[in-house]
Amino acid sequence: MNLCYTLPDELFEKVRPVLKGEKIIYCLPLDLNLNGEFTKFGWTVVTRRRLVVISDDQIGEIIELSEADEIICSHEVNGGILIARQDGSDRLLARFSMRYLTQYSYVARGATLFCRGDSRVLENQEREKYCPKCGKVLPGTQGCPRCAKSGRMFRRFLELCGSYAIRLSAITILMAATSAITVSQQYVNRRFIDNVLVPATGTLGEISAFFFTMLLLTGAALALTAFNTIWSNSIGTRISRDLRARVYAKINQLSLEFISSRQAGELMNRVVHDTSHIRAFMEHAFAQMFTRIFIMAGALIAMVTMNFKLALLTLAFAPAAFALIRAFRRMERRLWRQQWRFDDKVNNRLQDVISGIRVVKSFGQEKRETERFESYVDRMTHIQKRNELFWATLYPFITLIITSGTFLIYYLGGRDVLNDRMTPGQLIQFIAYANMLYMPLQFVSRLPRMIMRLKTSIERINDILDEEPKIADSPDAVDIEIKGDVEFKNITFGYKSYQPVLENINLSVRKGEMIGLVGSSGTGKSTMINLLMRLYDPDEGSILIDGVPITAISKNSLHRQIGVVLQETYLFSGTLLENIRYANPDASRIEVIRAAKIANAHDFITHFPNGYDTYVGEHGYTLSGGERQRIAIARAILHNPRIIILDEATSSLDTETEYQIQEALERLIAGRTTFAIAHRLSTLRKVDRIVVLDNHRIAEVGSHNELMRKKGIYYKMVMAQLEMHSVRK
Amino acid sequence: MLNEHAVKEDDIIAQQKKVVEDIISVRLITEENSVFERTEGGFVSLEFTDGNGEKKFYSRVSVHQCFPYSDPDRYISVREPDRDGREIGLIEDLNKMSKKTKEMILEQLELRYFAPVIIKIRSIRDEYGYSYWDVITDKGPCRFTVRMGGSNVYSIGKNRYLVNDIDGNRFEIPDLYKLTAREIKLLDLYI
Repeated sequence: MNLCYTLPDELFEKVRPVLKGEKIIYCLPLDLNLNGEFTKFGWTVVTRRRLVVISDDQIGEIIELSEADEIICSHEVNGGILIARQDGSDRLLARFSMRYLTQYSYVARGATLFCRGDSRVLENQEREKYCPKCGKVLPGTQGCPRCAKSGRMFRRFLELCGSYAIRLSAITILMAATSAITVSQQYVNRRFIDNVLVPATGTLGEISAFFFTMLLLTGAALALTAFNTIWSNSIGTRISRDLRARVYAKINQLSLEFISSRQAGELMNRVVHDTSHIRAFMEHAFAQMFTRIFIMAGALIAMVTMNFKLALLTLAFAPAAFALIRAFRRMERRLWRQQWRFDDKVNNRLQDVISGIRVVKSFGQEKRETERFESYVDRMTHIQKRNELFWATLYPFITLIITSGTFLIYYLGGRDVLNDRMTPGQLIQFIAYANMLYMPLQFVSRLPRMIMRLKTSIERINDILDEEPKIADSPDAVDIEIKGDVEFKNITFGYKSYQPVLENINLSVRKGEMIGLVGSSGTGKSTMINLLMRLYDPDEGSILIDGVPITAISKNSLHRQIGVVLQETYLFSGTLLENIRYANPDASRIEVIRAAKIANAHDFITHFPNGYDTYVGEHGYTLSGGERQRIAIARAILHNPRIIILDEATSSLDTETEYQIQEALERLIAGRTTFAIAHRLSTLRKVDRIVVLDNHRIAEVGSHNELMRKKGIYYKMVMAQLEMHSVRK
Repeated sequence: MLNEHAVKEDDIIAQQKKVVEDIISVRLITEENSVFERTEGGFVSLEFTDGNGEKKFYSRVSVHQCFPYSDPDRYISVREPDRDGREIGLIEDLNKMSKKTKEMILEQLELRYFAPVIIKIRSIRDEYGYSYWDVITDKGPCRFTVRMGGSNVYSIGKNRYLVNDIDGNRFEIPDLYKLTAREIKLLDLYI
């Protein structure tokens, strides 16, 4: 994100005397004045010596940075304020909305460095949210989709169709052939009437010749249509399958940040529903669309060449019909959006309640939840009913207007035939063409609806496909064999960059060392682990493994060599064998058994009636907490990682189980670099070094004995825990 | 090894108990036990006399509403200004404080809570998964962007709606039916 905007010229002239020729290092707009009102943009200008606030075109506060202790960007509710701290007292400098909060938090930190005589200049790597050119939102992409617009939707559709695009164009050509046959049939028909029937000179031979010609043409048209339909259906199914796979793969690939910003139900909808809308379009619209459009064009050309005046009259009703359709198109669009939004809502609600069913039941709220859900469903039914009713009443109406054009031909054309300006065969051909023109008009009038559906689905699918993973392998990322030295170097990180969870973390860990991470909740223990696993990238500083920054190590090789035993062990639906083999599907059965033995899991598994083939997870066998943990340990052992991350459960288990788990863990971590988020004293006494996190920084580092002697935070924690135990006794 | 520290254990426990008591006790700030004062820097300071008659001076306090939407004037939490700042006390009802104090607290609340109220909707257009709003709020005219889908426009009570934009700003529509029919129609797609 840009931290140094260009000041408008006339303002620059105004601040020039104040800046005394110093270079502007940071410059950000201010969208609020001190009363919290949206006004004409103000600005905050920072040089190495001064911070100047410009508000309502006037120079406001000027802070000499060398006299200030600190510049603070304070995150208030839905906005922020900039404060200068001088001799322990705070001075309010400026207000801004959330739009600039991230940037101000960086600039405040940057200005604080200047206060302390540090001349480093900070940069922000986050992507811009808005296109600097058109001001529209960028969907996480570098380029702006809006500023590169022409034919985008069509291109996107073709892109989504991928390798099927060529086959689709082949179908289109076949469709053109079908249309040509259909149009020429009417020409044969006319010849039959005018040359054989009307003069009454036709022979039986002529009749059978016409009979076979018609039969052949009709048969060919039918065969082609059937072929087209089958082909586009199968392509539609395949495109939808490919898209599903792509969207799903993308969701897996995207950072946690993206996924946690959306509800699971909504993402599911995109994978399942939007992709099938594209299939539905291929099946219902695409297969017929081109045939009908070609037929319409052919019929129109034929009509105009046959009888220009009559063709014009026939067409007179078309604009009215289209005007009507256009007027309804907008309404159509909003109705669909509404219905979809509600679909999402109902799904989310359902998922919410089912996931929380234990809470619902234990508080006896079944009835209330049922009523609530019913009211949702009622509203949804209402919306659906309204939409259906709308279509049901609209279409017959449009049909009536459209077809009224054909009636006119009977009258005017009939007159022409009586006046010998037209043959009966020509009239019949003409009427057939008029029908060909008008019948598909109804289909065409439905097209906007189908295209709208398609467009919305493409929009929603692209929303995901366009999103670029925040954490991607750099092109020169390498696979390395990890030995196990880990170093955290000046790490600062916040899930929201303006709210650091870790500040300036420095820690160097030797190969094979076991580190215990302790600290009260929310101090950043799990965050350190998340950074080490590279689920997030730090805002500042770097993490080195064997001296190599983890950003230079391929994610695959990193994750293959880091093993995790989490507090809440998640077992996937499947057998125990599959679960243990999760990270290593090629492991042999004996390797699985060996791992399970080391994890103290083999014995209880063999006691199950189905042994390793016991099905767990949803609808499956329920394991106890201790058993699940040992499965997780077995999984980690099989994974054979060089670095182990251990998130110890806070809940206590019975002594026997705990002993078995401890023992299994000891075997797991032997010789491997281990980071343990530890709560139990028994674990803590075994670790080589304890790192105490407090207030987002490392407060103490040392062995258990060293820290106990120091009588700092760790000492207090241990004492508090002992106290709790004695109370329990 | 741990026993050598056992002597100190009682001290620690007593200390911890005091901390816990401090956290769970409810202290009320009244006109009698407090003196709020504007500071030169644009904030508010407080001299507070606690239940034991001990006076303490805070050079800056920040104020938080406990019920910003359902009961904004009551139960104002007065705290030390840092992120992990302790609660100094609660103002039970702002209207029971002196006019001068009330004014000062309201100013500070205004500073902390940026909550523009939408008065008029000029237009809402959507494009590529985002909707672009052009509105007039009680804080002046404003354009902002909302991500489609999800629950970025949601109800917090009867006819009362909140809109979250992509930056994390929040806009309030206090009563949907106070808007014109045209504006409601514009909103219809999102609620």
